[in-house]
Amino acid sequence: MVKTNKRILRGVLMLTYVIIIGILLFLVSSIFSFLNTGADRSKMLHTEVKKADQYLPKVTWILDGNEGRKISKQKIAEVENDYLDAWYVKHIAYKTNTKVGIEDYFTESARENIYNILNFNKSNKISVESTTLQHHLNLEFFSEDGQLIVLKDTDALEYKKVFKDNKLILETTEISTYKYVLLLEDGFWRIRHMVKESSEKYQDPHQKRTITDTNIKGINYYPQATPWNMYGDAFDISIIEKDFKIIKEANLNSVRIFVPYEDFGKANIKYEKLEKLQKVLDAAKKANLKAVVTLFDFYGNYDVLDWTLNHRHAEKIIEKFKDHKAILAWDVKNEPNLDFDARGKENVTAWLSFMIDLIKSIDKKHPVTIGWSNVESASILKDKVDVVSFHYYEDLSKFESKYLSLKENIKDKPIILQEFGVSSYSGLWRPFAGSEEKQAAYYKEIQKVLTRNNIPFMSWTLYDFDFVPKEVLGRLPWRTNPQKKFGFISNTGEKKLSYKYISN
Amino acid sequence: MKLKKSFALLLFQLVIVSFLAQETNTKQTSITLLSTKTNYIVGEDIILNFKVKKDTVFQLYCSNSYGSIVLQSKVLSQKASFTVPRFLSKKRGILSWKIINTDETISGNISISSQQHPTSIETYLGPPSIDAGGLDYTMLVVIPTDSLDNPILDNSKVDVKYQFLKSENITPIYTDKLIGYKNFYAPKKSGRMIISSECHGLNSKEFDVNIMPAIATDFKIFTHRNHEYADGNQITTLYTSIIKDKNNNIISDGSYIEFYITDQKGGILKTAATTINGVAHAKIVHPDFEDTWKIKAYFIGIAESNTITIKYKKVIEDYNVAFKQHNRIITVGPLESFMGQLIPDGLSIKLSIYKNKTLIKELFKESNNGFASFYLDPNIYENNEYQVIIETAGIKKEFKSFKLW
Repeated sequence: MVKTNKRILRGVLMLTYVIIIGILLFLVSSIFSFLNTGADRSKMLHTEVKKADQYLPKVTWILDGNEGRKISKQKIAEVENDYLDAWYVKHIAYKTNTKVGIEDYFTESARENIYNILNFNKSNKISVESTTLQHHLNLEFFSEDGQLIVLKDTDALEYKKVFKDNKLILETTEISTYKYVLLLEDGFWRIRHMVKESSEKYQDPHQKRTITDTNIKGINYYPQATPWNMYGDAFDISIIEKDFKIIKEANLNSVRIFVPYEDFGKANIKYEKLEKLQKVLDAAKKANLKAVVTLFDFYGNYDVLDWTLNHRHAEKIIEKFKDHKAILAWDVKNEPNLDFDARGKENVTAWLSFMIDLIKSIDKKHPVTIGWSNVESASILKDKVDVVSFHYYEDLSKFESKYLSLKENIKDKPIILQEFGVSSYSGLWRPFAGSEEKQAAYYKEIQKVLTRNNIPFMSWTLYDFDFVPKEVLGRLPWRTNPQKKFGFISNTGEKKLSYKYISN
Repeated sequence: MKLKKSFALLLFQLVIVSFLAQETNTKQTSITLLSTKTNYIVGEDIILNFKVKKDTVFQLYCSNSYGSIVLQSKVLSQKASFTVPRFLSKKRGILSWKIINTDETISGNISISSQQHPTSIETYLGPPSIDAGGLDYTMLVVIPTDSLDNPILDNSKVDVKYQFLKSENITPIYTDKLIGYKNFYAPKKSGRMIISSECHGLNSKEFDVNIMPAIATDFKIFTHRNHEYADGNQITTLYTSIIKDKNNNIISDGSYIEFYITDQKGGILKTAATTINGVAHAKIVHPDFEDTWKIKAYFIGIAESNTITIKYKKVIEDYNVAFKQHNRIITVGPLESFMGQLIPDGLSIKLSIYKNKTLIKELFKESNNGFASFYLDPNIYENNEYQVIIETAGIKKEFKSFKLW
């Protein structure tokens, strides 16, 4: 008995010893690793700041030489990088009324000015969401020791939304010219002085484009096997060419295709996606079809700080295809009015407005439109678009009168019925709702109205689909299943009854 | 009838007038600007006054160089006034404003300029050292700022003062693009230049630039030695002339000069030294045999010297070799130097042992009190016939058929 107790005692003692040593070892090692963190020499001079694309306004440099030391291209890139970062941290600071990042891009005395404004806004519950869309930089002076720069930013385009008590009270767009003194400190080009030399209200450029052909008989197009994912791995140009032939033979003259924003690589457009789009447009040209290209499919952020990224996305596509013979028009966004509730009408409209300005600044030829989801929204931004587009999925009997009243409202611009159609679905989720006969009757009827009023149209859609991604209409089967049956041609490739009325 | 007509006319007129009246009514703004001043100096109180119809509170958006705020009005008897806070009014630049809660846009710009007199001059000078000779230059950049940390107006005069050796100068520069700058080209002489600036009576701190000598030009070398004998003991000093740049400035202390010595056989010896006051002194011990050295010095990549030749005379004309104990102890000496004195300790003596013309061993000894002795251990060197060569101070002595027993 005594012996056992002693053994237990010994065992417990030994175990305690082991545990204590273990804990000590752990503590010492964690102290050791703590002392070793942050001592990475490569990080001391901020030489390796990870760069994600968060803010990419259009920057043009006036490289007409400067006073003082000659500057290298690499230095210019560094200055541009830090200068834009300075704007970005300032936008974030004024949006959130926090000081994060300001000290990296403004010298000690300059940041005081920002902190004063931040404190005032914070105590008055004011916040400012802002972005800049373009900068025209000119390096005016570079000191011999490479530590000081005088920079001029001419006509910087600033968009601001001012909130008080979380309520939008002001939207303003200003064109301002700034002059800066930047100092190289800790590896950052920091702003030392900032002087706004002029500031004017932004003038709408009012650029008008006319559509080449208003006799549009078109269709919204996705390949049968890859709806809403046209440029994925299953991309097959021969299928698309064949479909375009079918469309042309059906006596149609145009298609509407979609460019998904994220799939194309957001601000940094993937080259292979552009190649695929090129093939599609070439195929359209070959088939003698015109294409309305809808940008920003599957995009719904509209956040002010996201704009510059959107602009770089659009810029690359427009720049590449602005002279393509197949392009009929640019459609900025599909049904943006559906995002009004979630993202705010002002936000979405401002986004569209600036996007139109951007597209028109690059493409001087093709008209721009917006694919509104109903007649009621179609007059939004009617002064900015060149062609008014709307979709109609409502009561057929009211179509003509609604169209005529819209036409009354918008006299000087062509109006396109950009999407319409009806599903032939009848099944478990919506019994007796539709049938091929009903679909055919619908098209017969609406074609009469279209012909009577000479309305350009693009129907939805060529094929019945087997699969509708959840991003389109969600997962609910009573919504997705009817969506699969909008085609003129069934999923097996047979022409449905409605095919007869595809173009007249 | 006439009455009816005139009545209708009157009615018609009334309608028009009332329409017009209505129109002017709607056109009339609910708030109009009273303040007329649009140019201010930083730090001045900026108050914007408006005439208002109703005593409601208005909001004013204000944006300056650094950011934007929203102000609330103070309304007193149909006058709304906004006081722009000091942190906005103290910064130079354009201040844009806009009334928020009105249908029509009422907005404007105020231009705020800096004070005329600076209270501090931020000065940057770099690079801090430059080469003499008129090619290289340093740059002085000044940012005169006023009491509220704004860069003062362009075209302000800044006097730049600089002193070098006996000259003291003042030249004016004018600020442009927020700053002012001046390049200082290096004078021909090396030294230190003191620079400062003055703007409207305000002086900056003192800055100095080191004018370093430019790169060296070719130079000469000399030798110094106690005697010309190759005793392997004395030291020869090699030294340069005063090395200067093309403008006669003595090159910076610590410049590294390398001396390359080529001996008679083509071997290379090397010694080096750094300069003090333009002269480098390098040392090397005398050879212990007769030799002729060619010496040339280099300031690597920059300059070189002439080549000089020096000779070292033989110190030992001859020496004796004695054999003892069955030839197993070989004593070399006495080794006598140029005046007959025993050579200082440490002269190297080489003994080479050959057997059938193949080298078995080389033994080295240093002289001690003028002698050196070798012991050929019988355990290593068996009794046999060998060939022995003794070599010291450049004199070779050969003993053929040398027997150990």
